[in-house]
Amino acid sequence: MTQRFLDPVILASVSKLDLIAKTVVDGFVAGLHRSPDFGFSQEFAEYRAYTPGDDLRHVDWSVYARSERLYLKRFRGETNSQLTVLLDASNSMSFGSGKVSKIDYARFTAASLFYLANAQRDAAGLIVFDDEIRNYVQPSTRQGQFHRLLHGVEHAEPRQRSDYAKPFALLLEFLRRRGMIVVFSDFYEKPETIVRAVEPLRYRGNDVILFHVLDPRELDPKIQDPVILVDLETNDSLEVSPAYAAREYRAKISAHIDAMRDKAKGSGMDYFLMDTSKPLDGALREYLSIRQGRL
Amino acid sequence: MGLFSPWFMLGILGVGLPVYLHLLRQHKSTPLPFASLMFFEKRTEASIKHRRLRHLLLMALRIALLALLALAFANPFIKRSAGANDGARRVLAVIDESFSMRAGTRLADAKREALAAIGGIGGGNRGQVAALGANLRILGDPTADKAELIAAVNGIGGGDSHASYGELTRALRSMAQASAEPMDAHLFTDAQKSALPANFSDLQLPASVKLILHSVASKPAPNWTVQTVSAPAVVWDVKKTRIQATVAGFDTPTGRRTVTLLANGKSAGSKAVDVTANGRATVEFTGLDIPYGAARCEIRIDSADEFPLDDKALFSLTRSDPRRVLFLHEARDTRSPLYFRSALAASAESAFQLDATPVEQGANLNPSNYAFVVLSDVLSVPPVLEDALKKHVAGGGSVWVAAGPNTARRQNVPLFDEPVSQGKYFSRGGALFAAVGETDATHPSVFRANRWDGVKFYYAVEVKPGQTRVAAKLTDGTPLLLEKKVGEGRVLLFASTFDNLSNDFPLQPPFVPFVEQTARYLSGIEDRSSAAVVGAFVDLRTAKERTTSVDVIDPDGQHPLSLDQSTKARTYQIPREGFFEVRRASGRNELIAANPDRKESDLAPIPKENLDLWAASGAAGGSANGGATAVGAREEEKPKSLWWYVMVAVLFSAVAESVLASRYLGVQREDS
Repeated sequence: MTQRFLDPVILASVSKLDLIAKTVVDGFVAGLHRSPDFGFSQEFAEYRAYTPGDDLRHVDWSVYARSERLYLKRFRGETNSQLTVLLDASNSMSFGSGKVSKIDYARFTAASLFYLANAQRDAAGLIVFDDEIRNYVQPSTRQGQFHRLLHGVEHAEPRQRSDYAKPFALLLEFLRRRGMIVVFSDFYEKPETIVRAVEPLRYRGNDVILFHVLDPRELDPKIQDPVILVDLETNDSLEVSPAYAAREYRAKISAHIDAMRDKAKGSGMDYFLMDTSKPLDGALREYLSIRQGRL
Repeated sequence: MGLFSPWFMLGILGVGLPVYLHLLRQHKSTPLPFASLMFFEKRTEASIKHRRLRHLLLMALRIALLALLALAFANPFIKRSAGANDGARRVLAVIDESFSMRAGTRLADAKREALAAIGGIGGGNRGQVAALGANLRILGDPTADKAELIAAVNGIGGGDSHASYGELTRALRSMAQASAEPMDAHLFTDAQKSALPANFSDLQLPASVKLILHSVASKPAPNWTVQTVSAPAVVWDVKKTRIQATVAGFDTPTGRRTVTLLANGKSAGSKAVDVTANGRATVEFTGLDIPYGAARCEIRIDSADEFPLDDKALFSLTRSDPRRVLFLHEARDTRSPLYFRSALAASAESAFQLDATPVEQGANLNPSNYAFVVLSDVLSVPPVLEDALKKHVAGGGSVWVAAGPNTARRQNVPLFDEPVSQGKYFSRGGALFAAVGETDATHPSVFRANRWDGVKFYYAVEVKPGQTRVAAKLTDGTPLLLEKKVGEGRVLLFASTFDNLSNDFPLQPPFVPFVEQTARYLSGIEDRSSAAVVGAFVDLRTAKERTTSVDVIDPDGQHPLSLDQSTKARTYQIPREGFFEVRRASGRNELIAANPDRKESDLAPIPKENLDLWAASGAAGGSANGGATAVGAREEEKPKSLWWYVMVAVLFSAVAESVLASRYLGVQREDS
């Protein structure tokens, strides 16, 4: 029942983005209540021997009184994280074969992530880019941050073509604190180029998740007759035969996805393919598992 | 190449339809936006081009289909040589079997040369043998079996017919039309000049026929013959029988010939006659004494030339008693029977014997015993006789009525049953007499005696003609000679008398032939010849004699007609020389003497240049005497319709168009 609210087609009928995020996350969390792996309360996680430099506030003095040894008591969810969402707003993200375009799907997912982060008191920020940075919302936990993020997401309209080198170089200047960086994009670029642009974020200790947003028709084009296809970014046109789309294109897009996955893992980044026809829970699950890994 | 119906080519404008559909009304595909063309390549355009090419191919097929349909309706044709084929030729050996070929060794020479020509047939050619007489007689189908051809040649015997090169050419034209196979026609003949048709254009050969002439008689040979025999078919009085024979010589010197008359195989007389060089002479025999019935007669000469078969001429004579004529007149009228009897007696053959009787004494006479009955201006006819005469006429008899002053006193002409208007005395008028004005030359009574210019008519009875046939009129329009059909018979009315009171006709020369011809007409005696030419047709029955059987007995005593032919055939063609007996169911038997056409007796050959001209009228290479090549051959071209070929092309175009259309324009299924 709750799965129905994660369906992007249903979410598309909801006008307000915050409501979408709440619906998604609440539904998602309600479905996780029996899971032993995930939780957000101040529950005990582990004891760890004190090492110099550790924060003395975390020392369990009761244990020290009994054993005269310093142990640090760790609780789940105790650590606040910083989430930065990089949203590709190039023209290619406006493509959608159904009711939900790729940019909409990315918006829903980003809003949901912001909702989660807000619930966990994590600082969240947003960068909207195409061939340059078009909007930047600095990560923060301040009052009203959630709405600022949603506003930024909502007004991220696709315009230019994407260029990964320039916005990511600028991003290095803004991101001082380590955290999670989530990139929503269709990654129409060579995998080497993309990874080369994103790698520096990883080197600075950030956890980078690449959400590869693709429409089902991009994965499996349904072309009956030879048609003229127009590139949404370059406006170039090309006449494509059904036979080519059915065989060679599928092979190429599959090879591209595989290369992206391999290159991302090779650089320590996480990669997740998002089919816009699928529910949003996969992306949320990916995000939470990685956040948990950071604890 | 041409078109039988060129206006249908306007339909070719229809090719604009596929051009419009494919080029002018081309489907414009709406561009489809796509996220990125990063994974598409330029070479994918080739598929679109290929598709366009296929559409162009489809358009070309549709254009071709419409154009071919228009062409099919226009019905194209090409002119093709009639002789074009795979090179095989038919060798036709034509041997002249006419009567003249029986002179000397001509037929044997012709057959020997024909066998030599047949021996030379080879190279896939087929041979055929034919005999030329009045018609071309084909002896078997074309074959490569030389034994069969040799047997056909050996089976040809001499005939009695007259050769006709015009008939040969006509038959060759028919054969060329029936078969496209080119033909070498070898003609083995004595090349008689008399075999040529009247018009040289009748010798025009078709282009596919090459004529090679083999003449077996290159120089003329002297020949005497009995050219004509003039004899009556029926002899009434043997003392008056007169037979004339004409002896002719062709390329002959002056000479004396002995002419012999034979009757039933016995000599009935012989005379010598001098015949000038290349000339002719006439011999007359009179008073032939033959028994009653048909006699087989013959005129024979001693010629001593190389063609003895034409030294005789056959003819038949039938001896019969004179036919009796009943002449009924008023007792006081003695002139009419006198003049009438004199006229009948003056006729050449004396076929009639007149029985003149006063009409009041004729009540007990039976009219059917007479050839015909004459009522010569009688005032009244005994009722019994009149009734007998009416029955006689209704049953097919004939009555000749002469109307004079006595008849004018009656209301109606007896038996003629037409009212009498008045009796005209021309002497009481200003003209004194009337002459004959108009005559119907087709009437048997008039057509030989139509010169009545000097005859004066002083009195005539005017009778309203009604539905009768008027054969002659006087100058004032009064009908003079009228004929009326009554039942199966006829009544002839002469509107004047046979005496020399009402007219002076009996004293004029035309009176005798008038009476004789009218008597023959009324008695039903036909003018027929006692001899016929070989190849002529003999009438076996009239239209009224459909169901009666007719038998023909040929000179060998055989019956050439089958049972079916003897009951249905209207005519019989005399095939050869001799006496043919025709027996009819009515008892009217006839003995016909058949002689070969005397044109065959003129053995003068056709000049070589004429033969060359004939041979050259056909295919190139035709020759006379098997030697010289003919020149001026004309290639005859015939239009050959291409309709079927165009329709086959239409069919193939339609099938190809359907296949292409269904393959390229059908709904495509997504590849799995």
